[in-house]
Parts: sequence; structure tokens; C-alpha cells
Amino acid sequence: MAPPALNSSHAQSALRSSGATRRNLLITAAFAALGYGLSKIRWRLGGNPNSHPSTPKTLEIYTWSSYVDQKLLDDFKAQTGITEVVVGILGSNEEMLAAIKAGKGGTYSILYPSDYAVTQLVQANKLQPLDHSRLIGLENILPKFRHSVHDPGNRYSIPVSWGTTGLIYNSEKLTPPPRDWSYLWQYPKLLSRRFTLLDDMREVMGATLKSMGYSYNSQNPEEIKQAYEKLVELKPHIASFTTDAWKDQLLAGDLYLAMSYSADAVTLMQEDSRLRYLIPESGTSLWSDTIVIPQPCPNETGAYAWLNFILQPSVAADMTQRLFFATPNQAAYDQLPAPLRNNQSLFPPDALLTKSEGIAPLNEAMTEIYDRYWTKLTSS
Amino acid sequence: MSTQVPSSLVTQPDAHSDKESPRWLGPLVLLGPSGLWLGLLLVIPTLLIFELSLVPGIRPGDIVNPSGLDNYGLIFQPVYFRVIGRSLFFAFGTTFFALLLGFPVAYWIALIAPKQWRNLLLLSFVLPLWTSSLLRSYAWITILRPTGVLNSFLQLIGIPPLDLLNRSPAVLIGMSYSMLPYIVLVLYASLEKLDRRLLEAAADLGANPLQVFWKVTIPQSLPGIVAGALLVFITSLGDFVDPELLGGASSMTLARLIYNQFIGATQNWGFGSALSMILIFLVSLAIALLIKYGDRSQVV
Amino acid sequence: MENLQRKFKLSISWQALFSLLMYGFMYLPLVVLTVYSFNRSPFSAKWTGFTWSWYIKFFQDGRILLALQNSLLVAGIAVAISAVIGTLMAVGLARYNFPGKQLYQSISYLPLIIPDISIAVSTLVFLQALWIGLDLKTIVAAHVVFCLAYVAIVVSSRLVNLDPHLEEAAQDLGASPVQSFILVLLPELMPAIVSGCLLAFILSMDDLLIASFTSGSGYNTLPMEIFSRIRTGVKPDINALSVVLILVSGLSFALAEYVRLNAERKRSGQ
Repeated sequence: MAPPALNSSHAQSALRSSGATRRNLLITAAFAALGYGLSKIRWRLGGNPNSHPSTPKTLEIYTWSSYVDQKLLDDFKAQTGITEVVVGILGSNEEMLAAIKAGKGGTYSILYPSDYAVTQLVQANKLQPLDHSRLIGLENILPKFRHSVHDPGNRYSIPVSWGTTGLIYNSEKLTPPPRDWSYLWQYPKLLSRRFTLLDDMREVMGATLKSMGYSYNSQNPEEIKQAYEKLVELKPHIASFTTDAWKDQLLAGDLYLAMSYSADAVTLMQEDSRLRYLIPESGTSLWSDTIVIPQPCPNETGAYAWLNFILQPSVAADMTQRLFFATPNQAAYDQLPAPLRNNQSLFPPDALLTKSEGIAPLNEAMTEIYDRYWTKLTSS
Repeated sequence: MSTQVPSSLVTQPDAHSDKESPRWLGPLVLLGPSGLWLGLLLVIPTLLIFELSLVPGIRPGDIVNPSGLDNYGLIFQPVYFRVIGRSLFFAFGTTFFALLLGFPVAYWIALIAPKQWRNLLLLSFVLPLWTSSLLRSYAWITILRPTGVLNSFLQLIGIPPLDLLNRSPAVLIGMSYSMLPYIVLVLYASLEKLDRRLLEAAADLGANPLQVFWKVTIPQSLPGIVAGALLVFITSLGDFVDPELLGGASSMTLARLIYNQFIGATQNWGFGSALSMILIFLVSLAIALLIKYGDRSQVV
Repeated sequence: MENLQRKFKLSISWQALFSLLMYGFMYLPLVVLTVYSFNRSPFSAKWTGFTWSWYIKFFQDGRILLALQNSLLVAGIAVAISAVIGTLMAVGLARYNFPGKQLYQSISYLPLIIPDISIAVSTLVFLQALWIGLDLKTIVAAHVVFCLAYVAIVVSSRLVNLDPHLEEAAQDLGASPVQSFILVLLPELMPAIVSGCLLAFILSMDDLLIASFTSGSGYNTLPMEIFSRIRTGVKPDINALSVVLILVSGLSFALAEYVRLNAERKRSGQ
């Protein structure tokens, strides 16, 4: 192998070429002129997603890495005669939203957005209304998921899993144990830099609102401002805003508490018996991950075949056992072994959920208010 | 890429061009393919960013209708100044530590280690880059956390534990770590060409090692130092994984802010584009300042 | 004089020692990855027992192997294209003066400066505006842009130090411009081209944002797979993959270097 020859002279030439400020000015001026020219052209951002129809034997799905495994795909292929399932890997809801809105629609027949992302996709006109006459087994879905805030009546989406947001904590380190969100503010010394919050604007703001007795989805600017001020007070004690990096630290005992989704918490509790998951008394959010068919869709028949496959109680029950996601399918729930059915972290009894809410979609002006405070909080 | 091309290189095609091939053939063959590629997939997308930065609050699905500099006006808020300041702090800090740690290594490989081992030493120093940067950052969490690898070791030798994770020091460690191989590569190339006789001559003339280092080695390798510093500075200004994973609750950087504008709750692509243009401007400014500094110290 | 030599020796050992420390620093995270890839618990928190199971799992995981294959394919093709047109560009910029040359140069440095996310989004917007379907080719096309920049930078640094008379001499001896380019200039530039390619390859293999925006359905690269797995679960099998990757590439580097040294020794022996 040769010695890398990246050296001084390229930088010098880089310096020389971009260094002369006069030239930079010239380039800026050229850019400005171009910008003015461009301003005469009007076009729609992300307007024309290019759909290229696939063969009826292929199905493209865009999903979370842990939602599909080889067994699931093999079973699907054996049942439906679709020979190839192409799996696109989803990093986050936001990444999917941005990609689909920028024109990456048309390459997938099935998407797996979370609840609030469904609303955004509907608003952006990127989803197909579901034809219920082509679905088998929709009646098995529990009523509360058939009338969700993000998609009442399952017009666009079918829930595939659900859960809560709560606090997972180390029961050895925290005495007395937490019962509600307000615990975070009550024990600053004990908890200082020993807990993390989710890197999620709506969840963190919502939990704070809830701790003050307001709605998780408050639309009152005054309440939102109060929640922001309460969070500013907490900020010096927060170790980090993170959705996944807390796991190792909590197991190792470096963190005492983390705000987490129930699915993550249940997985982690298998590792360490000291960990407990709490659904706060004043209520929390109920979330769900869903399956939708995008518009345009390369293989519609295949997409409905996938939906009907996932709706089968045996398939849904199998997924719950392997991946620890609570199923919203009543028939599937009935098939689960008793220990799993009675796992209160996974399937909390209704009594614990009475004060909880789904994350409701907000209009643009409201989102901007939330975002302004959130950016201020995280940027400071 | 020097602007002062040796004259022989410039005149050479004229002197030797085949009778059949026209004068424009050479430049076309050499510069055409890359020009086409850069034009299509770099210049046009960059212009798109610029155009989007002129549309206040544009979201995907909106009509693009450039109408002014409102997006740039949004930046004049104390919060964003703090973000920019923090980004610069991380970038300068990383550059400083990468230089400090990387120089002796490059010096050792280039001038002291046995010659036949140099390539291998250099390659094995760069080899850790072969793993995903995300995994390396997660590994640093395991090392730096309060009961992690580092503190277990410190406890063993009787030093009180350090509280580094979720604070700025962890970010600087993580980023310097990522940048170290790059700077060693750059410095190595520059030190390898160093005239060893100069060092010996200085020593013969009675200079002590420190004097040799400051008066001969450093000025001789200054171009390499500047190049490496530049590369590290630019790259670390764009890094957002390390600050986010290691820096705790107060670690928002400019790169992350841009990311949030494109892939965040509000999806304000106009503001995101304006922030991108500002990042480009900041980097150009840093380059300009560095040249000024670099040029002067070369004169001295 | 003796005193001086002793001082030099002292400084030598100091540098070697420091370098050793820095090698330790570079490999510390890899050691951590390796250790926990044999941990029975899927989390990197506590040692709970030795297991090979993550390695077995990773070798049986078709999706991760496919992602690895995609990444290698993308990086390989993108670097190959960049090696050719990047070298041509560096030579062309060193050789010719033309109006707009400085603009051309500044533009070629842009990929280093523009934030990944901005270029990822705008490339996607541009591609869809042209109704270009997304697949593996579009990732390659987008990756060539920054690979090209790195190859060109490294090569042009070498060009500046090159004796300009070499090629001239070759042409005086009757070589055509193409012959002198291939026979004289190219061998001189080879070390720079190789190291530029190495750099570009590493960056392409590690890119998440640009690839995830410009990839078509199902064409997942390794960083996309890693990111999604970290977000939704745990990663011991990914740790195992990294260990294997490092071992394989480290061994092949060592082997290539061994072959080169042997060849050199033979040549000097003759």
C-alpha cells in the first residue's frame, strides 16, 4: 500500500483558491444573480413522486429493522405466492416523512409509520384510503384502536402494535419509587444527571404538560409556555435527550431512570430484575405503529395481501412473542401464553390508562409554537 | 491545483499537440466528465439549497416561490448564536487536540520508526476507521460512563473517577478520536518529506531539541499542519453524531440544527437551507482566516 | 555532542511511547466492541458470560450480509469511477488555464463543506424532479460526488510536487500525449491515487444520510441497517460484524504489505 499523500500543498491551493475574499465576493454575487434568476421559476417541492410499477410477484415494504425477520417473510411468501419481498430499512419516522415528501414515494407499496406520522402523510396527500372490503380480520382490532385520534375508523392505517410512554427505573437506587412525572422535579439531588428524557418533542412536552394537570396535547399557548419553563428548570439535571443510548447506561447502574417507550422497557426488564416500568399516575401517551399503503403504490394487490397477512391472529400473536410489541388484535391477544398476557408493562390494564391520551395531530401554527420552545430548550 | 502552475505544464500541450487533435480536446477529456458530474449532482443541488433558503418557511409540497431573506433573519436570535458558538468551540477544540495528539505520532512514524514498517504502521493507525462511526461513538459511551472502562481502570490505580459522559469533554474526546487518523495521514505526508539534514545541522550548530523542534521542524511542516487543521475543522463542524450521543442535554450544534430542520418536527426546509448556507459561509471564512495566518507565519 | 545524542535518544523513546499510547487510544473502542461481541447479554453493560452466538447469528443473517454486499458494491464502483475522473480532473486543472477555472476549483471543494443532510435532501429533490427512478445506481452517482473531491485533492497535492519536465521529456522522446500520460504520469501519481481511493472508500462505506435518501426500495447499505437496528433493538451481531470486518481488512492490508516488501527486497537483491 502506498503512503497517503494528502498533504500540505492541496490545502495551500485550497486556501489560495477559496481564500481570496474578493473572489468569494464575486462567487457570492454570481450566486445571488442566479438566485434571482431562479426566483422566476416556480415549482412544487417534492411534487412528482415517480412510481415505477413493479411486477405483481414483488412487494416492497419500508419498515423498522425489528418488525420483519426471515421467518415472517418466508411465511408470507408461502401463503401468497409473492416470490420476492424487498425490505427497506427505516431509521426514524422523520427520515421516512422527509424522504417520502421529497419524492421518494412510489418505490414502496407498504410503509410502517407511527401514529402521528400517519396524520402528516395524510395531510401531504401521500396515502391511499384503505378499501375495507378487501381486508379480512379488521374486526379483530380492539375498538380503541379503531377510533384513534390520528386515524378514526382506520381510513388509512391499520395498527400493528401499541404501547405507552413511561419511566423505567432502577428500583435499588430510587427510594421512594417514582409514581408520577413530578418525581423528576421532586428529587433533583438524587436524580441530577442520572436520568434521560426521550429525544421527542411531543413526548417530553406532553409529559410535562400532563404533570401540571394539562392535556398531553394542549393547544393553549400559555400552558405550553409554562411547560417549557418547567423544563428549563429541569434542564441542568437532565443527562441527555436520547431515544436509545440510555439502555446500556441504565443496565450498568450509571443512570437511575429513563423516559422510555414500553416496548424498549419490556425488552430491557428481561435483562435485569431490578428494573421497573412505570406508567405515571397523571397519565401518559398511548402510541401505536401502523401499516399504510402509500400513494402511488407499485403493487396494490401485494400490499393488501401483506395487510391481510399481518391481520391474521396467529401471525400477530407470533410477532408479539418474538418482538415484545403489544398487539392491538384481540384474537391474537387471546392466543398468547398467560405470562405474556398478564405482563402489565406490555398490556397495562385499562384502569391504568384512563388518563392517557394518544398523541393528537396539531395544526401548523401549533406545531410551530411547540417547536419554537423545544428548539429553545434543546439549543440552550 | 495550484494557481501558479509551472509554465512548462501550461505551455506543454501547445508545443506537443498532435496535428489532428484540436486544442480543446485535452481539456474536454480531462475536465469534461468530472465537470458534468459535479455540475449535475453538486452544483444544481447546491443551487436548490440556495433557492430554498430564499423561501420563508417552505415545507415539502409547497410551491417554491423565492421571496426574500426572511430565513436568514431568523438566525439573529441568542439561542442560535449559542448553537453556532458551541459548534465552533467543538470544532476548534477538536482541531487543537487532534493536532496535539496526532503530531508526535506522525513524527514518530515518518522520521523515527524503521522505514519498512512505515506503511504498515500508518495503515494500522487508520484501520479503526473501518468500523461504523456510529458504533465507535457507542463504544465511547461504554468507555466513558461513570462506571465504565475508563473509570474502572482509574479506580484500580487509585484515582477518583472522572465525570465525563454527557458533557463537553466526552464530545471532544469522541471527535478528536474520529479525527486523529485523518490528521496523522496528512501530517505524515508532510513530515516524511522533511529534510533530515536540516535537523542534524541545527543540532550541530548547538540548538537543543526543543529549539530544533520550534525553529526547524514546525516551520518546515507548517503547510501540513495547516492542511490537517483545515480538514479536521471542516469535518468536525459537520459532525453531529458525537455531540448528540456523548454531549448530553446541552449539545445542540449547527449541523444537528440543520438536520432537525430537514428531518424534524416542523420540517422547515427553508430555514434548514439558510442554515446550510451559513455553515458554508462560516467554513469559507475560517479558510480565509487560516490562509492569512498561514501566509504570515511562513514569512516569519 | 554525546550529551546531545543522549537527549535525542530520550526524545525518541518519548515519542515512541506516546505513539504506543495513541495506538492504544485508537484501538480502545475496538477492544470494547470485540469484548462485548462475545458477551451473552445483548447489551454492553455487564459481562454475563462467553458466547459465539452473535457471530453465528450474523453469519446466518441474510439481510445484514446483503447490506454489506450493497455497501461494498456502492463504495467499490463509486471509488472506481472517482479514481478515473478525479485523476483526470486533477491533471486537467493543473495543466490548463481557462476562464472559470477558479470557480471550478472552488466547486470541487464544496462536497467537503456542504452538510450531508442538505446535499442528501436536495439531491433527492433534484432526482425526483427529473423522474429518475431510485436504486443502487443513484447512491453510486451521489457518492461519486464526494469521492471525486477527495481523490482530486490528494492527487493534485502530489501533482504540485511532481517534476513537470518528466512528461515533457517523454514526449520529446516520441511518446504521444496518451502514452506519456499512462506510462509516465500515472505511475508517478499512483501512490496518491491509491490513498485518495482509500479515503473515499472509507467515507462511502460510512455514509448514512446521502445513501438513505438516494437509495431505491430495498437497497439498504450497511450504515442504514446499523442505524435502524440501534434505534429499534440491540447490536451485538453488528459488533460481531465489525470485528470480522476489521480482522479481514487488517489481514489483507498486512498481506499486501508483506507481498510488496518481498517484491522490493527481491528487486534490491538483484
